Amino acid sequence: MNAIGFLEKMRIPRYDKPSHVTRGTVTADPGKCTGCGICVKVCPGDALVVEDKKMKMKPPGRLDCIFCGDCMAICPTDAITMISPPKFSCYYKTIDQGEPKPPRVLDGWKE
Amino acid sequence: MTETERVILRRRSVRFYTKKQVPESMVKRVIEAGRFAPSAGNSQPWKFVVVRDEEIIRDLTTTVAKITGLFRDLLDYRRPGFFWLRPIANLFIRLKPNDLHPIPFSILDLVSDGRLGLYHGAPTVILIFKDGRGVSDPDLDCGIAGQNMVLAAHSMGLGTCWVGFTRMAFQYTRKWRKFFGIRYPYKFATSIVIGFPQVQADGIVERQTHATDWYEDGKKHTIY
Repeated sequence: MNAIGFLEKMRIPRYDKPSHVTRGTVTADPGKCTGCGICVKVCPGDALVVEDKKMKMKPPGRLDCIFCGDCMAICPTDAITMISPPKFSCYYKTIDQGEPKPPRVLDGWKE
Repeated sequence: MTETERVILRRRSVRFYTKKQVPESMVKRVIEAGRFAPSAGNSQPWKFVVVRDEEIIRDLTTTVAKITGLFRDLLDYRRPGFFWLRPIANLFIRLKPNDLHPIPFSILDLVSDGRLGLYHGAPTVILIFKDGRGVSDPDLDCGIAGQNMVLAAHSMGLGTCWVGFTRMAFQYTRKWRKFFGIRYPYKFATSIVIGFPQVQADGIVERQTHATDWYEDGKKHTIY
């Protein structure tokens, strides 16, 4: 199992540095997105914005998307896909979290 | 997929409520689900407080926004000209690694600016207080009771969201402890908001698989 090293443990990540914190990302399929803006309303991190009637993530620089999936679940046209969860280096580094996957009770536990 | 699994997997934190008050009978059913939660030594170390008063919810939000604003001003070194705050912020993060985790750190901003309503406009808030004298770990027991309530609520078509930020009001002000009559042995544990979602908010999403170690037949392997 991956662990966190001593030096990593001793360093607190800088929240304003992209090399220390990577924010979560989601995308919207431009073909399906109608720009209704409901995802913007439910986003707890204020990470999303509607531009030209399409959902977009705000410019990077803040750790905003917490990868909760509220936008994906609420989207009336199923346009939103979750890409990657937020990651930290140093102190708050995530350890062996695996890849994001939907629940596997529907079609059995694959792999 | 069983009906219980369906509720568990589809449950999302709802942050988009209608103003319509939740019927009293439904809230009472939700509390019943909490009452039958497992707890260490069956000590049931919890106290539930239901707040359905718009004014109290609004005042509580204002108090929490003020305190989070104060924290933000003390710790946010990302503002231009405040780089010298970084060592101080790092020291505080080291001392309170859970409270000052980077994830709520950005939400701190939104709450203090009033851009994110603390209770998301939900008409009912359930505050959960722990009895500090409970067996083993009262916080954990309150969490289990809370999750029972949340799942019961979602199975009835309601929406819920855990709101831990309420702690600020009880930890740092005497006013709210006095208002709700909270004194020894009770301490704030967590809070849950309940309401009708404006649109269908529950649904299946992706989550990290997490490494799970598996010991069987004298061997260990890790599954994802």
